[in-house]
Amino acid sequence: MSQVVLEKIVKRYAEVDVVHGIDLTVDSKEFVVLVGPSGCGKSTTLRMIAGLEEISDGTLSIGDRVVNDVAPKDRDVAMVFQNYALYPHLNVAENIAFGLRIRKVDKAEITRSVNEVAEILGLTNYLERKPADLSGGQRQRVAMGRAIVRHPEVFLFDEPLSNLDAQLRTQMRAEIKRLHSRLGVTSIYVTHDQVEAMTLADRIVVMSAGRIEQIGTPMELFMNPVNRFVAGFIGSPPMNQVKATIADGADGSVARISDTVSIPLSRAEGLAAANGQSVIVGIRPEDVLLEASGGEPSVPLDVNLIEPLGSEALIHASVGGEPFVIKTPTHGDISHLNDIKQFHVDVSRVKIFDEKSGSALYQADKAVG
Amino acid sequence: MKNSSRTSSLIQHFKREWQIYLLLAPLVIWFLLFLYKPMYGLQIAFKDFSLFKGVDASPWVGLEHFRTLFDSDMFIRAIKNTFIISFLNLLIGFPTPIILALMFNEIAQGKFRKSLQTIVYLPHFISLVIIAGIVINIFSPSTGVVNLLLQKLGFEPIYFLTQPEWFRPIFIGSGIWQEAGFQSIVYLAAIAGVSPSLYESAVVDGASRWQMMWKITLPCILPTIIIMLIIRIGNLLEVGFELIILLYQPSTFQTADVINTFIYRQGLVGNQYDVAAAAGLFNAVVAFVLVMAANTISRRLTRTSLW
Amino acid sequence: MQNMNLYSRGDKLFVRINIFLLTLFALSTLYPFIYIAAVSFSSGSAVTAGDVIYRPIDLTLAAYKYVWNESQFWVSYMNTFIYTVFGTIVSLLIIIPGAYALSRPQLIGRRFFNLFVAFTLWFNAGLIPFFLNMRDLGLLDSYFGIIIGFACNAFNVILLRNFFEGIPQSFEEAARMDGANDFQVLWKVYIPLSKPAIATVALFCIVSRWNGFFWAMILLRDEGKIPLQVFLRQTIVSLTSDEEFGSTLLEAAYSYETVTAAIIVASIIPVLFIYPFLQKYFNKGILLGGVKE
Repeated sequence: MSQVVLEKIVKRYAEVDVVHGIDLTVDSKEFVVLVGPSGCGKSTTLRMIAGLEEISDGTLSIGDRVVNDVAPKDRDVAMVFQNYALYPHLNVAENIAFGLRIRKVDKAEITRSVNEVAEILGLTNYLERKPADLSGGQRQRVAMGRAIVRHPEVFLFDEPLSNLDAQLRTQMRAEIKRLHSRLGVTSIYVTHDQVEAMTLADRIVVMSAGRIEQIGTPMELFMNPVNRFVAGFIGSPPMNQVKATIADGADGSVARISDTVSIPLSRAEGLAAANGQSVIVGIRPEDVLLEASGGEPSVPLDVNLIEPLGSEALIHASVGGEPFVIKTPTHGDISHLNDIKQFHVDVSRVKIFDEKSGSALYQADKAVG
Repeated sequence: MKNSSRTSSLIQHFKREWQIYLLLAPLVIWFLLFLYKPMYGLQIAFKDFSLFKGVDASPWVGLEHFRTLFDSDMFIRAIKNTFIISFLNLLIGFPTPIILALMFNEIAQGKFRKSLQTIVYLPHFISLVIIAGIVINIFSPSTGVVNLLLQKLGFEPIYFLTQPEWFRPIFIGSGIWQEAGFQSIVYLAAIAGVSPSLYESAVVDGASRWQMMWKITLPCILPTIIIMLIIRIGNLLEVGFELIILLYQPSTFQTADVINTFIYRQGLVGNQYDVAAAAGLFNAVVAFVLVMAANTISRRLTRTSLW
Repeated sequence: MQNMNLYSRGDKLFVRINIFLLTLFALSTLYPFIYIAAVSFSSGSAVTAGDVIYRPIDLTLAAYKYVWNESQFWVSYMNTFIYTVFGTIVSLLIIIPGAYALSRPQLIGRRFFNLFVAFTLWFNAGLIPFFLNMRDLGLLDSYFGIIIGFACNAFNVILLRNFFEGIPQSFEEAARMDGANDFQVLWKVYIPLSKPAIATVALFCIVSRWNGFFWAMILLRDEGKIPLQVFLRQTIVSLTSDEEFGSTLLEAAYSYETVTAAIIVASIIPVLFIYPFLQKYFNKGILLGGVKE
């Protein structure tokens, strides 16, 4: 299987750059997810890899070959489209066979390949059906079958699950992952859904406004976001981000949110910040303890609203006048949550970001993830 | 440097995409040969054209043909008739399909409505020769059913198709008979696009069907009505001259002869090609101005242009 | 619509009046056809006497027998079939590939070519230059001239182009990644996906070919090449040119009226035959060809 290497890839429409020089190496057999809000350039990047968009600048190699000027059909890549692009006038078998027929593959060979792929995807009983008679999940599988059947070097996925309902999406997510581990084909997957990115990826590439914000394993991104954007994008509900000023406290540095409310910082984070610096304090909703387990500092809060989710509940509150969300286990009872007057912080989990640049002030060793 | 790379990328492009140019070629050639080449031939409007010399070799005569035309009472009459017939057609023919659509909308979807629609769409697909044949048959003074009716009511039979004052009503009426039903499709589609919740909330508010038609349906399809009206005005000069040729006769020329029938008689029957081409050019230019004006108005008014 | 019982009394009256008026309109649309059919099956003398109102009087097939034995009728009928079938095929062969090319974003000069097509909607040279052009091309009095000369029009091209443009780009992209070239994309993807639009355009062509008479009348001199509509017109003209509008053929079995009516019926029958398709696709076609931003 092949490596895909993007070097300083640029996409320009009428003199305006929409992708600004992307560098990315996708290793052989790796599953990389490009994630970001709509318009961040992730789909454009994928389409450049596919050969559906011209590359304005930079070099793209698949395997050992520079493919900038190679036609899509000769790049040995296959793509699963958001709307599946299943031909409504062909049945499942014909849809899967379409690419092989165009390539004039031998008839018996086509039948064999189609049957094999149908077997892998559990479509054997549906080969005669037209796409209109399939469920969403089955269509999704046919779309994947069309990609698999050609044994390409690289799979490209363009938001393939976004047309499915939530339950099916979870199921298909697992199926894609299983398929990848079975076939071991280098895969590049575009989505705007961070949960999909987290669950599928070997590595995630977070993009925004045509640039890469951060590349890393899901846990790296979760634990050590390099900036406020990544911190806000990965994790649900998003990390609380509260304005504060660094000051000296009793046990080292604290981030002062208001005259009465301060959040203590870990030693490492504290050392990275200068006294008096304006910062953003980042605390994940689930990194908050309602009952102190031993010596954690406490922060006062005002509860505004409780949203029970079942096993967990979201507490919408304000801390020092700023909105703040807490996610806490309910253990079957939420009656007490309204009375909460303070919470405790796991100091080791608090992140601080520079207010101006938005960058994380302290980067933990990458090995942490 | 930049130029040469552009040239080479152009060569690359044609190497990769030559097929679409090949697919386009027959269409372009057809348009050049059958629609653009005649535009070149329009110059005979300014020439003393002779079939033997051909378009290029015939001598120029400037605006002489236009002078001839505008000195001719027949041409002035044709212009007048064109506008009068178009205007009457607009006045009566334009609202009819809207009213029909509104009425159809008041009937529940089902077999009955479907068969009514099937009937009223039908004449659209019938050839003008047949329409003319039917009109002639029905208005025939001796055997036509209209005159039979008049006679039964005690009137004298009327020679409808030889009387100038009857030509326009018959022509416009048969146009409506042929097209009104079919034209209502556009409005029915627009009505189908109106959100049902508007009607539901009106029902809850106690509105009558009559009120809903006026207060909901009509305002909701107003944009479509405006666009159709603009298209109509843009095509104002396109009176259905083929049907006129089939229905008129010398005794009704004074009310029936329009620019295109004038051109037909001058050019194709009388072989006065250059004068007829001049009349055609006049017609085409006025039509072009009307279409452009209509499109501009539409863009201003509805923010969508028609093409 | 909702349950009739829920309507107020005013609404019920409104609905009834509405149904009454529409039915009246539909009947008056239908009546001329019924009348013509009745005339065609009546005896000439009954028509001349003014007895035929809505049903055949002295039921007879005389007019049809006359038409059946008229060789020009069959020649014209055959010609109309030829013009319709070949005309439609040639039209589609030009329009489909052209509309596809015009819908491709990668076509250099796409704006220009689209304008090139659309311009002919707004401006055309008119009858005389078109006629002289056909003459220069040597296409007078020829089957080929009628077939090729009216193969295309901007409206059909734009209609199909709009439809092609509405097909999600990903269909083409998927086919391209599978190795299809433009011919294959058009043939294996776009044409099968566009069946309704192509059917609409084909039906437009068929109807206009079947009904076309004006240019056939102008361009064709040879009686052996004229289509049915021109033949029909000649029959009608010979009727109207008679000052009395009366019968000159005084054999009682048929008259000019009944013969004309029989030809009309014979030429409408194929239209009625494809009418269900017409209704289905013209509905769509009107919307497809409708306003586009």
